[in-house]
Amino acid sequence: MRKNSSDPHKKAHKVPAIVVCLCLFCCFVVPLCGQQNDPVKLFEQIASLIQDNRLAEAEKELTRILRVTPDLPVALDFLGTIRAKQGRLNEAEVLFGRAVAKDKNYTGARMNLAHLYLLKRAPDKAILQLKEVVALEPENAEAAVMLGDTYLAESDLAKAEENYLVALQGRLDNAGALFGLGQISRLKGESREAAIYFNRVATLTADSKSPEFLYKFALEALRVGLIDEAKSALERSLESRPKDPSYLLALGIAVLRKGDLFEAEKLFRRVLEIQPSNAQAQLHLGYVLLNQKKYAEARVWLEKSARPGAAIPEVFYYLGLIEQEQNNDARAIVLFEKAVQQLPSYAHARIALGSSYMKIKNYARARQELETAVKLDPEEPTAHYNLALLYARLKEPAKAQEEMRIIDKLKAKGASNSGVIVLPPKSSP
Amino acid sequence: MFIRGLLILLLVINVSPRPVTFEEVPPSASKITWTHNNAHSAERQLPETVGAGCAFFDYDNDGWMDIYFVNSGPSDFFTPPSPLKNALYHNNHDGTFTDVTDKAGVAGGRFGMGVAAGDYDGDGNVDLYVTNYGPNILYHNNGDGTFTEVTDKAGVAAPGWSTCATWFDYDNDGKLDLFVSSFVFYDKTQNPLCTDPTLKRRYYCVPRLFKPTPSHLFHNNGDGTFTDVSAESGIAAHPGKSFGAVATDVNNDGLMDLFVANDTMPNFLFLNKGAGKFEEVGLAAGVAYGEAGRPRSGMGVDATDYDGDGWQDLFVANIDQEFFSLYHNDKDLIFTDQPGEIAPATQLLSGWGLKFFDYDNDGDPDLFLVNGHPDDMIESRIARVRYKEPLLMFENTGRAFKDVSASAGTVFSKTFSGRGMALGDFDNDGDEDVLISNNGESPLLLRNQGGNRNNWLGLNLVATKSNSAAVGAVITWQAGAVKRSRLKTGGGSYLSSHDPREILGIGAATKIDFVEIRWPSGKVDRLTSPPLNTYVKVVEGSGIVKK
Repeated sequence: MRKNSSDPHKKAHKVPAIVVCLCLFCCFVVPLCGQQNDPVKLFEQIASLIQDNRLAEAEKELTRILRVTPDLPVALDFLGTIRAKQGRLNEAEVLFGRAVAKDKNYTGARMNLAHLYLLKRAPDKAILQLKEVVALEPENAEAAVMLGDTYLAESDLAKAEENYLVALQGRLDNAGALFGLGQISRLKGESREAAIYFNRVATLTADSKSPEFLYKFALEALRVGLIDEAKSALERSLESRPKDPSYLLALGIAVLRKGDLFEAEKLFRRVLEIQPSNAQAQLHLGYVLLNQKKYAEARVWLEKSARPGAAIPEVFYYLGLIEQEQNNDARAIVLFEKAVQQLPSYAHARIALGSSYMKIKNYARARQELETAVKLDPEEPTAHYNLALLYARLKEPAKAQEEMRIIDKLKAKGASNSGVIVLPPKSSP
Repeated sequence: MFIRGLLILLLVINVSPRPVTFEEVPPSASKITWTHNNAHSAERQLPETVGAGCAFFDYDNDGWMDIYFVNSGPSDFFTPPSPLKNALYHNNHDGTFTDVTDKAGVAGGRFGMGVAAGDYDGDGNVDLYVTNYGPNILYHNNGDGTFTEVTDKAGVAAPGWSTCATWFDYDNDGKLDLFVSSFVFYDKTQNPLCTDPTLKRRYYCVPRLFKPTPSHLFHNNGDGTFTDVSAESGIAAHPGKSFGAVATDVNNDGLMDLFVANDTMPNFLFLNKGAGKFEEVGLAAGVAYGEAGRPRSGMGVDATDYDGDGWQDLFVANIDQEFFSLYHNDKDLIFTDQPGEIAPATQLLSGWGLKFFDYDNDGDPDLFLVNGHPDDMIESRIARVRYKEPLLMFENTGRAFKDVSASAGTVFSKTFSGRGMALGDFDNDGDEDVLISNNGESPLLLRNQGGNRNNWLGLNLVATKSNSAAVGAVITWQAGAVKRSRLKTGGGSYLSSHDPREILGIGAATKIDFVEIRWPSGKVDRLTSPPLNTYVKVVEGSGIVKK
C-alpha cells in the first residue's frame, strides 16, 4: 500500500498506513507475538488501537511484547509512533532509531523517522533517511515524493525535480510528484508549464477527499491562475471542513479573482465570524468593499487589518484610495507616501500619489510620480492614463495622445485588468 | 398618563416629515394604453434594445402637459406585422389622457428612438423632432392641434442612426439650434454573430464591435431651415457612439457647451469657444474615461449645480460594473468623479433616463435614475445582473446624494426595462412628475405625491429676444436666508424631452423675496415678492404677465 501510493493526501493517514505495513512485516519476521497466535492479527489490533487513539491499551500490548523481545523492530516502531502521537518526540526518535539500528532495511521505521525529523525541523536528517528508503526500495514513490517535497522546501529545485521524476517512473499518475513538478515550474516562472502540471493533478485528484491536499493544491492553482480549479478544490475542502477559516479565506480570494465581489464579500465576512481578528480576511474584506465604493466600512476593516508595526503597503494604498475618492487628497498623499516608503517599487501607489498631486495641482510632483510609475510598470494602463490626463492639463496634447495610444496598444495585448478597479492584495491566504 | 403618551406620539408624528413618494398612475386611470414594441427578434438587431424615448410638452398651449411616446417601426431588419405608431396623448386636465396621434399627424412610421420638443420657429407652438434608426422627422406644430412634417424643407433628416436630440442656442442668436447624437454605423448586414458558448442563442452585441459615426449640429437659420454646421463647428471631427447629450455651460462664459455620453468610447465634452466653434476637452477635463483610461458605456446624462457652488456638475450613467459618474466641477475645466452613495447603489445597474430635479421642492436638485440592462440574456451570462432593474431616487444632502428609493414609493421595489425618462408636472400641482418609457413594455407614469407640501413657484418663461426655450437662462431666487440659483439646461436624460417650466422650491419658507432671471440675451427680469404655489408667466423684458 505504501509503496504504490500515488496520492499524497494519504500522508495524512501515515500512522495507520505504516502500522498496517508493519503488521505485514511482522508476519514474516516474528512468527509468534505475545499471547495472540496470529501475529498479523495482533499487530492489526494494536494498529487499530493507535488509530483510535486508544494509546494506553496499545502501549500495554506493546510493553508485553517488548518484555519478551526487547529489540523487536516493529514493536519499537509502534511504540515510537505512540510517543510521537503523545508529542514526546525525543523518545519517539530514540525508539525509531533503535528499530532502524536493529534492522537497517526497515523502511517503515525510516519513513517514520523522516517524518519526525521534519516535525523537528531537521530536514537534513530527514533527507538522509529518505535517501536510504529510496535506495532500498527504488520503486517507493511515496518516499521519492517526500524526498522531493523536502528538497523543494529547502529550495533545492534540481534535486526535488530529480526525485519527483523518480516517483513518476515514467507514468503520469502520481499526483504528488506532478504537484511538486508544478510547484517547481511556478518557482522558475514557467507558469504555463505549471498550469499543465496542476491541470493534470486536478484530474487525478477529482475524487480526492483530503481537505489538506486540496487546499494545498488550490493555493498553487491560484498562484498560476487556475482559478476554476482552485475554486473547485476549495469547495471540496469545505465539504469536509465547512468552518475552516483558511479554506474560506482562500475560496474568497478565488471568487474575488473570478470578479465576484459580492460572493467574495460573503466569504470574507464568514471568515471573520469564525476568526474575528484574521488580518488577511480583514484586508480582503476592506478591499472588496473599496471596490464596491463602500468607503466607510472599507476603511474600518482596512484599519483593523493594519497590525502595529506590521502594516503592509497595500493597506496604506487602499486607505489612501478611500481618502482620494472622498476628495481628501492631502490625507491620501500621506498614506500613499507611506506605501511608497515601504515599497518603493509599488507602481500603483505611485500612480495614485501622482493622481492626488494632480488633483491639488502640484503638477511637478504629479509628473515625477507618474513617470516613475510608468518606468516601474510600463504595461499598466492606469499609469499611462493619468500621465495622459496630466499632459492634457499641461497643454501638451501630443504627449497626451501618445499615452492614450500606448493604452490602446496595451488593451490590444490584453494587459488591461478588467472587472475590478484596484489590484487585489498580493498577500496569499 | 394615556393623554401624555398620546401627546408625545402626536408630537413624534408631527416632527417626522412624510417622505415624498411617486405613485404609479395605472392605464386604467390615465387611459394611456400605448405600449412600446421593441421589435425583439432572434437576430438581436441592436436598435431593438436601445429605444425609446418620451416627452412631456404642451402641444396645444392649454397650460397642461401632454405626452408623446416614440415607437419602433419599419426598417431594413424589421417589418411590423401590424402598423406601429408613436403616440400623442392629450392631457384632459383631470388625470386622464386621450390619444390624438392620428388627428395630430405625428405617428412617426419609422424605427423610432427619441424625441425633443422645442419651438424652433418661435411661433409660440412647440414643435417635435423625432430621432430614428433611419432619417429623423421634424414635425412643425400648426397651432391647431395638427402637425406637418417639414424635415426635408428644414434640412434636419440626419440619416443614419440618431439617438438623443437637444435643442439649444449655441451662438446666442435667439434661435434654437439642434444637436443630434449619432450612434454607430449600422444596418442589418452589420450584425455580427454574438452568441453564448453553445452558439445557439444570440445576444445583443456590445457597441464596441461597431464603427462610430459623427453627431450632427444644425444651425437654425431663422426661416424654417437649418444648416448642418457639424464640420465647421468641430463636432464632426469626433465620431462617437453617442447616446445622451446635455447642453450646459461648464465654464460660466455664457456660451452653452455640450456633454455627450458615448457607449464604449470616451465621452465628449464639447467646449463652446464662440464664433460657432467647439473644442473637445473631455480627456483634460477628466470626464472622458473611467479608471485606467478605459472608456465606459455612457448612456443617459444630465447637468446641474448640485452643491450650489455656482458651477455646473455633470452626471453620466454607465453599464453594470462600471459605476455611474457624478462629475463635480472643480472649475478650470477640471472635473472629479465623486459619486458617493450613488456608486454602490448602481454597481450592478445600467442607467438610461435620468434627471436632476427638485422632487421635494426644498430648493436643491435631487436625482432620479431609470435603469435596465440592454441584453435580455444577461442573466444567463453574469451573476447578479438582471435584465429588468429598479428605479432609484437620490435626495440631495447639500454636497452629496442619499439613496431614498426605499421610502419613495412601492414602484421602487419593482423592476423595469427602463429607457427614456421625461419630467413634467402633468397635474399642475406644483411638483415634478415622471414619465418613463420602457423597452418592449408599457410606459410608466408616476405622480409625485407630496413634493408640493413645500412651497414653490412655477415659472413659464416666454422669451422675446432669447431662444424660445430659454435654454441658458440663469434663475436666482431667495427665500429668507437661502439663496439658490439654477441654469436652464437643454436636453438631458435619454431620448426624452421635458416640461419646459421651472419649479422653484423654497422648502418651508412662506415667502420668496425675489426671483431674478438672467436671460441668454443678457436681459434681466427681477420679480419681487412673487406669488407662491402657482405658476406664473414671465415674459422676457416684461416680468410676470397675466396668463
